[in-house]
Amino acid sequence: MDRRRFLTWTAGGAVGATVAASISHFEPFLKKREAGATRVEVPTTCEMCVNKCSVIAVVENGVIHKLNPNPASPKSRGMLCARGNAGIQQVYEPARLKRPLIRAGERGEGKWRPATWDEAWDFTANKLLGVKDKYGPQGSLWSSTESFQETFFKNLGLSFGSPNIVRHPTLCLASVNLAYSATFGTVPAFDLANAKYVIMSGANRFESFITPDTMDLIESTTERKARLIYLDPRFTVTAAKADEWYPIKPGTDLAFVLAMLNVIIGESRHDKEFVNTYTVGFDKLIDHIKSFTPEWAEQETEIPAKHIVRIAREFSDAAPRAVYYAGRRSSWYREDFQTRRAQAILNAIVGSWDREGGMVPNGKIALGEYDFFPWDDPVAPRIDEIDKNFPMAAKGDGAYLKLRENVLAGAPYPVKAWMIHKQDPMNALPDQAKTIQMLQQMDFVGVIDVQMSDTAWYADVIFPESTYLERQDPVEAMSGIWPVVVYRQPVIKPLHDTKPTLEIVQGLAKRLNLSQYFDFTIEQWVNAQVKELPIEAPLEYLKKHGIYVPPDFPKYGTTLNSEHRFVTKSGKIEIFSDRLQEFGYDPLPLYHPPAQSPPGTLRLITGRKAYFTHANSTNNPWLNAFDPENRLWLNPATADSLGVADGQLVEAASTAGAVRLKVKVTQEIRPDCVFMLHGFGKRAKWQRLVAGVGACDAQLLETAWDKVSGNAALHETFVKVRKV
Amino acid sequence: MRGFIQHLLIVVAAAAFIAAIPPVTPVSAASKGSESKGRYYFRSTCKSCHTKGAAGGEITPLNKTQAQWKSYFASSKHARGKEPLTTLMTEDQLRDVSAFLDAHAADSLQPETCGK
Repeated sequence: MDRRRFLTWTAGGAVGATVAASISHFEPFLKKREAGATRVEVPTTCEMCVNKCSVIAVVENGVIHKLNPNPASPKSRGMLCARGNAGIQQVYEPARLKRPLIRAGERGEGKWRPATWDEAWDFTANKLLGVKDKYGPQGSLWSSTESFQETFFKNLGLSFGSPNIVRHPTLCLASVNLAYSATFGTVPAFDLANAKYVIMSGANRFESFITPDTMDLIESTTERKARLIYLDPRFTVTAAKADEWYPIKPGTDLAFVLAMLNVIIGESRHDKEFVNTYTVGFDKLIDHIKSFTPEWAEQETEIPAKHIVRIAREFSDAAPRAVYYAGRRSSWYREDFQTRRAQAILNAIVGSWDREGGMVPNGKIALGEYDFFPWDDPVAPRIDEIDKNFPMAAKGDGAYLKLRENVLAGAPYPVKAWMIHKQDPMNALPDQAKTIQMLQQMDFVGVIDVQMSDTAWYADVIFPESTYLERQDPVEAMSGIWPVVVYRQPVIKPLHDTKPTLEIVQGLAKRLNLSQYFDFTIEQWVNAQVKELPIEAPLEYLKKHGIYVPPDFPKYGTTLNSEHRFVTKSGKIEIFSDRLQEFGYDPLPLYHPPAQSPPGTLRLITGRKAYFTHANSTNNPWLNAFDPENRLWLNPATADSLGVADGQLVEAASTAGAVRLKVKVTQEIRPDCVFMLHGFGKRAKWQRLVAGVGACDAQLLETAWDKVSGNAALHETFVKVRKV
Repeated sequence: MRGFIQHLLIVVAAAAFIAAIPPVTPVSAASKGSESKGRYYFRSTCKSCHTKGAAGGEITPLNKTQAQWKSYFASSKHARGKEPLTTLMTEDQLRDVSAFLDAHAADSLQPETCGK
């Protein structure tokens, strides 16, 4: 053979091998359709984000070919977003967790040995019992993110005797939930489909979270000509679609709302009948608001006073079809609770409650329950001392960052075991160095997940959960303007040696002598849930349709009568809150200016894109293709001052740590801020698309929390940026 | 002298007694009644009559304020005063039900959350 032919064959072989490797990833989809191939359509429920849209899986010969929207769902209708479609990749990802693993090297080294289920269960149970013997059951921490099977995981922790259950809301929306609960006794839905005037502070609904609700807003603003006012230090997609965008000075949204209240009340534009009938404390608001003038707010927000006045007037004119949208993630600043409370009060005084186009209390559907006699309550108090530190917060969720602080300090008592379900604290919590320290402090770390997250990378035992497309889950009653009951059934059998969380929990419970609390099958659990639904043969109905949609929704005005009692101390909507005052908080929102950036630093703000759910889907190849690497957004003026050009590598450093990533020079951000997307720069090498790619915001973000709820405050970090 | 020695012995004995007391395990609100068990008893006992369409009419925790539930349990009367509550449940069970109803009463602080 001559040299040319050898090189040709070698090159051809290399190309062929590369093609073959990439084709093998798509092999399930390349099987030819044979005569007599079976094709079924199986309705189920998505798990790619918190929305839980209804899905119909198209399965041919046991392979999922497509995920389509279920038009029967009023939440999703004819739409399934990019994430929903990409759920297929969760199943067929070659690097997903396929069997139990036990750590073989040091934590974070990435060395694993496969284990049998018995081995993994025995190992974990022995470790947990060891911690219990030495430190008491309170020496174990159980952290989780919402899922249809989360309740089984939490129940294992509680029946084990630990009070230390901590959940995701304390990193996300605990502040807005508490603010609305404190005002209305409930967190309402927002009837964006019918609103005429919408104000959004940083809720980037056209970009960060594309769901049918987003489509409602788009249709509302573009076709029905509802007005959208958008405040954000960044020019986002929502800013581009809004009628007006204001690059508000970060952390000053409360000043804007207080000034709106000043105008509306000062000009007597509030809904007097609504206020007199359904609220308490308005009289105290009148005096309280006087000093918060638009001119004052202009100095704080950098939004011209004349626009604040005009917007306030337009807002009140459009009411009750006017809403200051509460948003979803409210983990921004130390004053988040009061900011959201001011928004809630603003919506209330213009009567935007339980009316079309306004805030609407959620419709709910009651499900049955599988009853069993519960365990004894944990004896020890919570490690985050939530009763003392955040007495009004939702105790079942905890206060994650305060919890971490106390665990690191070993006070009031040591916590030495950490069980984690469907959560990646390494990325979800700010100040990753502290999370790593917390992990290293543990005698045992166990993780239940579908993929090798950064936290799983540091675990001692990993239990591989079957994906949502491979398992039967409890049904879920989703409250909302259109409440529904959604059903999740397996569309294929599990591809690998994985189990649903209930079975993982049952294996542990057996070894921890707690089986009596998990002595049921998932079918028994589901049967108990659905038996009270007002339909014939409810289980068969749900299997066939994937969803139950009760008639007669949406309903407006159900609370607008003299007999209705709001679940508040007074029984009314609380503009002035006695309860807040009793707990030592401002009973009406007071403005405390945000911390200003020290010289030479810039405020770091973070956010989301609709392709990525928290940090857990950036490695999904279909989603990663939209945005394979995060960059640090810099205003051109800032870039010039640093001598940095677009695409250049920089180092950003805070007191929490330092990261390196490329720069995106753009006019779309204020000169005093930088922005980076969440979910990149992973450590877990199995996440091959994002391991070491871009940078991890959790390594930079400093620890801060909202004063009332304990919710993480993720926009309180200042960074120094330099060229490298 | 004898009196001094007696006093000294009492002080020494007291000190020894106090030193022998084991460290106090932190105690949570569980001693006030268990909300989770109270919920179970409420559902299994009370709801058999106090559900929609049933003889006793629907009752939920939201039917009364915290003060009203406290007063109800203090009176310890059931069925419009016809019988004591203890004909239905033990004192311990009633304390648990009371804790559950107090936590979920019409005016109790019960902030909503995401998921469960």
